[in-house]
Amino acid sequence: MNRIALVAARELRAERRQPDGIVAATTFIAVLVLLESLVVGPVIARDADVAAALFWIALAFATILTTMRSFDRELEDDALDALVALPGGRDALFGGKVLALTAMLLLVAAVGGILSLVLLDLPLALPIHLAIVVLFGVVALPPVVIVDVILALRLRARAALVPILALPVLVPQLVAATRGASAALVGDDVGALSWAGLLFAFAVVYAVLGLTIVPAAIE
Amino acid sequence: MRTVQGDASLRDVTVIFDDRPIIRGLSLEITAGLTLIRGPNGAGKTTLLRVIAGMVPIAGGERRVDGETLYIGHRPMLLRGLTARENLSFYSRFRGLQDAAVADALRGWGLDGKMDRAVERLSAGERRRAAMARVEIERVPLLLLDEPFADLDEGGITRVRDCILSARDEGRTVVVATHGHPELDALAALRLLMNEGVARAA
Repeated sequence: MNRIALVAARELRAERRQPDGIVAATTFIAVLVLLESLVVGPVIARDADVAAALFWIALAFATILTTMRSFDRELEDDALDALVALPGGRDALFGGKVLALTAMLLLVAAVGGILSLVLLDLPLALPIHLAIVVLFGVVALPPVVIVDVILALRLRARAALVPILALPVLVPQLVAATRGASAALVGDDVGALSWAGLLFAFAVVYAVLGLTIVPAAIE
Repeated sequence: MRTVQGDASLRDVTVIFDDRPIIRGLSLEITAGLTLIRGPNGAGKTTLLRVIAGMVPIAGGERRVDGETLYIGHRPMLLRGLTARENLSFYSRFRGLQDAAVADALRGWGLDGKMDRAVERLSAGERRRAAMARVEIERVPLLLLDEPFADLDEGGITRVRDCILSARDEGRTVVVATHGHPELDALAALRLLMNEGVARAA
């Protein structure tokens, strides 16, 4: 656990110094929210299902962007090899990346969520429930994307392959997150918590899979 | 080739990348002291070091290593965005060591005023010096150094040579893959010549 925390702290420190990933992801989600009402019109944009769906699709792409930037930094000067060569490095890599990317994405989600609520003037019936859905929805995203990035790590076409590999796997999570966020916006507390529970299950399952697959896949 | 009990041994190891054998049926015993690996570009020197470090899957054969290894590749393996001190502190703490020795070690490698500068703002030679300081901080029994003299000026080359000999004299096992530096030949306990994935004693 200490090693996972060390990898996460290293990642966050590097991102603080060179915030390429988090700046790109935040800009991306902010622009998408701004464009949303222009593209679909103010009436449709204020629909809870539409607003939630666009938010989560944007966040999924933001996750891919941030994760790829994180691994690009590791590949420069072969820093990833140094981590992999350390005793326990392979096991700590996945957990540390998940922790760090979750922290970054919570920040991105907070910015995107607040922008959505304010700019689209969305009704918010259950703010605590929405926070829970967003929390579990965000936690469930990095494990899938990290596994896909690692599987495509040594491929030249990884920038194209990672979204292709990740998005089909993310669809059930995106549906659950959209339904949960929409339910929280319109005041369906049972629905919001049920979808949040499902998102938590996704997070646990993919985290366990990642912890199992990544040490072997990183070779 | 010597067949004494070693700190690392490979038995009939084969490594295949993209259906192409990079190392073919290699058996090797490495014991304390300096082992030199030489050979032309693409001979499999780097792959051999990575096999010993456990970083490459082997298609066949057996690999045995006693104790922890420190692999320093032909690139410095430092994470950009962090300083030299932060990088080395991370590696040190990851191995469960205190990071108190980091500053002194970096000073010893001539990075006194630069250890708190992000590594991307250091020259290639300075990054190499920072990477080599790991040898003196992490103090593992088996060192695997791939082209450790790359990017260094005369002073740096001398410092690396001293560092290698010092590790050897401490009883550590040092495996160095390099094209040049023939002066190391006389100091090595074992010299290997790699060619097309096959090693023979030189």
